[in-house]
Amino acid sequence: MDAPWPVRARDLWFAYRGEEWVLKGVGLEAPAGAFVAIMGPSGAGKSTLLRLLAGLLRPQRGSIEVLGQPLGNGASSRPSVGYIPQQLGLVRNMSALENVLMGALGRLRGPAHYLGLFPRAEAEHARSLLETLGIGHKAREKAYQLSGGERQRVAIARALMQRPRLVLADELVSDLDLPRAAEVLSVMRRMGEAQGVTFVVNMHELPLVHEFADLAMVLREGQVAYWGPARSVTWAELEGAPT
Amino acid sequence: MRWELVGKRDLLLWLAGAVLLTLALQHLGFFDAERLGRGAANLVTFARDAVPPDLGVLPLAGRALWETVQMAFAGTLLGFLVALPLGLMGARVLAPLPLVLLARLAVAVARTVPALLWAVLFVILVGLGPLAGTLGLALYTVGYLGKLYAELFEGVDPEVVEAMRGVGASRLHLARFVLWPESANAIISQLLFMLEYNVRASSILGFAGAGGIGFYVNIYLQTLEYTRLATLLLLVLALTLAMDVFSAWVRGRYLLAGR
Repeated sequence: MDAPWPVRARDLWFAYRGEEWVLKGVGLEAPAGAFVAIMGPSGAGKSTLLRLLAGLLRPQRGSIEVLGQPLGNGASSRPSVGYIPQQLGLVRNMSALENVLMGALGRLRGPAHYLGLFPRAEAEHARSLLETLGIGHKAREKAYQLSGGERQRVAIARALMQRPRLVLADELVSDLDLPRAAEVLSVMRRMGEAQGVTFVVNMHELPLVHEFADLAMVLREGQVAYWGPARSVTWAELEGAPT
Repeated sequence: MRWELVGKRDLLLWLAGAVLLTLALQHLGFFDAERLGRGAANLVTFARDAVPPDLGVLPLAGRALWETVQMAFAGTLLGFLVALPLGLMGARVLAPLPLVLLARLAVAVARTVPALLWAVLFVILVGLGPLAGTLGLALYTVGYLGKLYAELFEGVDPEVVEAMRGVGASRLHLARFVLWPESANAIISQLLFMLEYNVRASSILGFAGAGGIGFYVNIYLQTLEYTRLATLLLLVLALTLAMDVFSAWVRGRYLLAGR
């Protein structure tokens, strides 16, 4: 039997309470190991789509399957799905290493980790992720002491620490300049390929999408304006101008 | 020069406040010049009668002061140990609504009654002495810290909670790895504030027979032994100042430096 699609969403409709539809019949299918970019202007519904896929919101209509299972209550806590929110969601008063180790919480048993005692293999894995992402020397620094780019790498390491099959990231590189963003995406891409991870990432920068994404979706006013190969997305599609 | 009234509502509020204050002061006797004059004369008499302080009571007062300090420390820490889990249970970010309501009701009840009245109640329940005072302080601490901690935990960045739920964190994980580290400085700062408050409060619990230096303050006040009373009041003042210095040192050394 074929491996299930990491993400399969059909005809998603969503509105925040008492407001207009944010998503109107959006569907998405991401094949295993793909890097999918979600694009579109502010307010197009990109973050909402990602939060739906992460199970943090529930659609009023439509269905979502993540890793072959329909998304229901508590699905967001599935350890094999990594979610990186827009502001990264790091614990400010914890070190970079501790933040990365949080990615292992879903598989840790017993009381030892509540006292700060983590299995050595997990700690070594966390350190190796930080090394790979180029911030091994910052492992002991608190999250609030790190720069924006370093914090983003810690958030990526935490997501990869989950040993995920799918990572959902909201505006992950939007605060970085292009060279730094390219560096971060290239590391993600490399690690994703090595571990067979599928990425669904909200992004703005077309050159980065062309370089790093396999597939792209452009959302405009809650509807899919483009869905296809990332290399074929143009400024016209992004801006809604006739091609 | 011509004027324009811009903040009309502010002016009305100030005027209303001034009228209310004047009425209250008048009702309370603040405009009774004869009575105030008598009070000033009494103050001079009291000051003359209280000087020099009788240092002969120092051994007794020292023991009573030590008991006061023990009551304050034990009451604060016992209250803290109950307030912390109640604060977690009272935080909507962590607990289901029925538990939140139950926890908040419990701390509201504990907070409504002042420490002195709790001490009176415990004197009835467990008898005279410092045990009653310690329990009274502990219960008031639960009410005060339980509310502050619940509000503190509610204020933690929801995106951090969301991200941690996303990695499979349980409620216990959230409490230990998000709410605690994100709030630790404020938790300890408020614990120190409570300790300062309890040191002051425990000085008067003896009036109700609940142990500590207040018991002797009450006796010397009733028997008009002002030189002895003065020694006790100076000791309470020294203790309060020492507590302020101690908590300022802890804040500066551990809390501000850890930011």
